[in-house]
Amino acid sequence: MTRDRSFLLSRRKLLAGAGALAALPMMAPISVAAASGEGRFVTIILRGAMDGLDLVQPYGDAAFAALRPSLALKPETGLIDLDGFFGLHPAAGDLMPLWQARELAFVHAVATPYRGARNHFEGQDILENGGHEVGEKSGWLNRALAVLPRSGSRQAVNVSGASELILNGPNDAQRRGAHYGLALAGDEERFFEELFSGDEEFAKVWSAAATTDGGGPPSPPAGATRATQISEIGRMAGSLLRENYRIANFSIAGWDTHVDQKTQFPKAVGDLTTAIISLKEALGTEAWDKTVVLAVTEFGRTARENDKGGTEHGTASVALLAGGAVAGGQVHGQWPGLTPDQLLDGQDLSPTGDLRAVAASLLQQQFEVSPANLTTKVFPGLTLDGASNYLKG
Amino acid sequence: MALSTATLAAIRYGYGLRPGEDFPGDAAGVLAQVAAGVAEKPTFPRDGVAGRLERATRLLSVKAAEAKAAEGGKPNESIRQEMDKEAREIFRQDAMARLGRAVHSRLGFYERLVSFWANHFAVSVADFLPMGMIAGLHEVQAIRPMLGGKFSALLQSAVLHPALLISVQGDGTTVAAEGSAPALRNERLARQLLDAYTLGPDAGQTPDDLQAAARVLGGVTVDYRALTILFEPRFSPPGPHVVMGKTYRGEEGGNQDHVLFLEDLAVHPKTAAHICRKLVRHFIADEAPEELVSAMTDAWGKSEGDLMQVYQAMLEHPRAWAEPGRKIKAPFEFVASTFRAIELSERSLAGLQRDMEIEADGPVGKAIELAAGVRVEDRRARADRAEALTLGALQRMGQPMWHPPRLEGHGDDAGVWMTPDQMRERISWARMVAGIFAQRIEPNALVVAALGDAVRPETKRLVEHAPSRLQGIGMVLASPEFNRR
Repeated sequence: MTRDRSFLLSRRKLLAGAGALAALPMMAPISVAAASGEGRFVTIILRGAMDGLDLVQPYGDAAFAALRPSLALKPETGLIDLDGFFGLHPAAGDLMPLWQARELAFVHAVATPYRGARNHFEGQDILENGGHEVGEKSGWLNRALAVLPRSGSRQAVNVSGASELILNGPNDAQRRGAHYGLALAGDEERFFEELFSGDEEFAKVWSAAATTDGGGPPSPPAGATRATQISEIGRMAGSLLRENYRIANFSIAGWDTHVDQKTQFPKAVGDLTTAIISLKEALGTEAWDKTVVLAVTEFGRTARENDKGGTEHGTASVALLAGGAVAGGQVHGQWPGLTPDQLLDGQDLSPTGDLRAVAASLLQQQFEVSPANLTTKVFPGLTLDGASNYLKG
Repeated sequence: MALSTATLAAIRYGYGLRPGEDFPGDAAGVLAQVAAGVAEKPTFPRDGVAGRLERATRLLSVKAAEAKAAEGGKPNESIRQEMDKEAREIFRQDAMARLGRAVHSRLGFYERLVSFWANHFAVSVADFLPMGMIAGLHEVQAIRPMLGGKFSALLQSAVLHPALLISVQGDGTTVAAEGSAPALRNERLARQLLDAYTLGPDAGQTPDDLQAAARVLGGVTVDYRALTILFEPRFSPPGPHVVMGKTYRGEEGGNQDHVLFLEDLAVHPKTAAHICRKLVRHFIADEAPEELVSAMTDAWGKSEGDLMQVYQAMLEHPRAWAEPGRKIKAPFEFVASTFRAIELSERSLAGLQRDMEIEADGPVGKAIELAAGVRVEDRRARADRAEALTLGALQRMGQPMWHPPRLEGHGDDAGVWMTPDQMRERISWARMVAGIFAQRIEPNALVVAALGDAVRPETKRLVEHAPSRLQGIGMVLASPEFNRR
């Protein structure tokens, strides 16, 4: 099937190219929330390279199933249909009420400018610093704080208990949540296991630690599981945003699925789903209606499955948007296709959109950040050549 | 591990590698650190030894006055709280200063010996709250200046110190009961002295020896108000008392019998064997190689217990430089070596201490909130983080500062510090360190800084490919080669 998946964005692009609009970047109207000065913005960093082709599967693309014999699903095998071409991984099923309420959207085939080396540290640096250079130590969300027109919007908090690059920089941002003992994500566990495997005594203690009551290492407090801990993070973000804070960030690990993705990926998707649902609950309807959640990853994964039932580091992935302020129920983006000549370097989903442009558009719509500030201070060097409208006007 | 002698020495005899610090790779260089350390001026307590004693005794007398008033029906809760708070702050300052020495001193072997002896003569804040104010004094007065001289002098200074006696005798209130039989009062001290500090548990001492020792020590008491050691002849029953074949007459100049007794114990051959074996087991291997132990006891005998000679005999033995990684770092060593590897500065450590000091609920906290616009809960989050990173971590990992599980101190066999719980705590803490310092730490650089040429190829590879910096940093700190020494 050679169905053209140039959906909303590309159609608008066409219009823009035809008229005077081309000269004016970012024509999208500001959101209702921005107008009230009550807009909230949450970023979730999906560390480890989230496989966008697994989360939002292009089951309508004829090449898809053959690339992924054990991973590709169809509506008949549990995939949740979104629009007749894309389907959602069943582990994210709890998000479907949001989709139906038009509070959930995706932007497919997007990537940061990072290409080639496929290194997690570098990829996450670029994702978070919003630039081209590894080593830039200020994050785009931190720089954005300085150019938010309303001072009341500048209250930012990281609830990972960690210092994360995206909120690191000259502007004040608080940190909450120690998460001492946050249970390991699947990929983290696999790495630790390998780390200890070469030392007999450590390997023995590791396997005892992993099977003792109370769950795997490290040491979740009594009764806690990774799911309850993740839900706690979402809830903390939600309650802080409900009160004084307007911007929050946290991370969810577990996406580095080189091996046995069929088992590992649903766990990570489950965590992401849990975080979003608990965030929504803690925010309450009123604040949720003014909220935009953007979940992004450093790069995607290879279109082809490897011989261990996993995938390798790739390029483009999918971005998730959620929240009452989102104009949801659609999969945005320009579909590049999956035939060998359409894949980047013959192996990766080809990026057709810049992840930074998605974030820039959200900041503009949600907080009225000016296009000039977005392209010079928040994302220096970014060119915005078309208007994207992801939020309710 | 194919590692250089300098790396081996930094890990085995110091608190681990620290970028920019060259640890000596030979016996002479390592040994020289002891002399340098002994000559150093202590960096804590901040208020000096005399100042600290004055402060501690003042707090104790205010507390006593308040307790008396309370008995008379006029308790003053705010005074009590103020005093407790000040005592807590003093304790925290000393505890952080102690951690700071381990992290920042260039005299790693000296600092490790300080910990060894502080654990050998463990003091405990368990029973007596004001101990928090003098636990650090024990180390500064009785251990640090003495650990390079004769064991006999170290033994006397360490045992005849109010902090140790209070720890051993327990809560001052029970000891103050005048009626109790003296032998009973110092029975614990006698047992501790013979079984732990000198001869060791299997040196053939009998219950009679212990009873007699308790009588010789009977007059040794602490003035809980002045925090000084007293000899009270009235508590010292007349002799003769026979301990381990030696007779202490009691009546003639009896006030000095306990000192003579300590001297005799110090030069007893069983003491030499016990201490030398313990040193080897601490620094080198759980199963102490006998040839190494006997080289050290020879040196002990020839020099009449000159500890410098004993350390030298250990360091000059080939086994002291072979078979690395047989021991597991204790939590204090694990935390200190982490801070060294990540180059935590003195300023950063002081900053963490400040974060803990400012109690969010107090008037100071409120003033800061108003002035700087920092919310109380953000400040509290910072205080919690600083605590969890440092003193709280030691507590969680089972080695809280100056609070040993028993008077014999912490064990340091692999079995003690290599358990599933311990691994969980270390991974949790490593991940917290990674999260807090993520912007400054490059995982691949940390591999070099923390492990040097002790790194295993698989650790290097796994860190390079870690799914996040946090995971990469966590793996360096959790790695077997970082937790072994």
